[in-house]
Amino acid sequence: MDARDLSGDGLEAERAREHLEMVDRILAESSQRLCYGAEYFIVWGLFSGIATAIYQLIGNGVLPVWALNAVLVMLIACVAFTILRGRGHGAQRRGRSVVQREFFNVLIIAIGLAIVVNALGFNLFSNWAQSAIWTFAESAVLFFIAVHGNARAWIAGAVMIVSLAAANFSPASVAGYVLAAGMILGYAGFGVAESLARD
Amino acid sequence: MDDLLLSKIRLGIIAELLACEWLAFSELQRTLGSTQGNLGAHLAKLVDAGYVDEEKTFVNRRPLTRYRLTSTGRNAFVQHVSQLQELLKATS
Repeated sequence: MDARDLSGDGLEAERAREHLEMVDRILAESSQRLCYGAEYFIVWGLFSGIATAIYQLIGNGVLPVWALNAVLVMLIACVAFTILRGRGHGAQRRGRSVVQREFFNVLIIAIGLAIVVNALGFNLFSNWAQSAIWTFAESAVLFFIAVHGNARAWIAGAVMIVSLAAANFSPASVAGYVLAAGMILGYAGFGVAESLARD
Repeated sequence: MDDLLLSKIRLGIIAELLACEWLAFSELQRTLGSTQGNLGAHLAKLVDAGYVDEEKTFVNRRPLTRYRLTSTGRNAFVQHVSQLQELLKATS
């Protein structure tokens, strides 16, 4: 960076404009500087997809009901991973931007609400409604990233919404598989795509 | 006009810190493209003026110096940018 100073007595309009342009550029770049762990998407996408597939397998009589315990174990593992990883990110060398904090807020609120709503409203949300809530929450996170200029997030979010619509018109015996595919392709797939893009 | 912010690099530091909670020295150096000594000298002036908070810690046994904008620094930045804009308006 050019470290030329503006002299107090001879303040030139051109220099003032130059300084303001620099400030505008820095602020514009800062507002778009969103770093998120691709691993969150892979972990939560796989969890929600596998859990939904397990529901479908149980519903179809392929798996016994006690297989739901596996979902609970996976959920606890995912929550623990998110908390530990989040703490690790906080201690990283890179500074945490305001938009970064907003992203974590959106992530925690969306995923947290999906867990709470599913836990508290299990009598209200029958059949595939709970999985649809997951799809909605995960696509909200993706669209938050998308509006910060990530084209892959637009595509991933669209995949999830399309899977929701497709599941809506699918037979009950396969609706869960369609939702699960959307979660794995859209959410976990986005995480994989981001990992590859950074490498 | 704030004399401290008449320096382009110090103004850049404040602008970078504006969107962050904390920013590491290495990150500031990377984004501003400044040398270590030059950046350190400018940061020291901002810290002395109370515009920026400095924190020295260890992460994974490595020293980490990071910075945060204070409310004094934020107010000074807003006022300074406003004055720059007024100057441009007056000359146009």
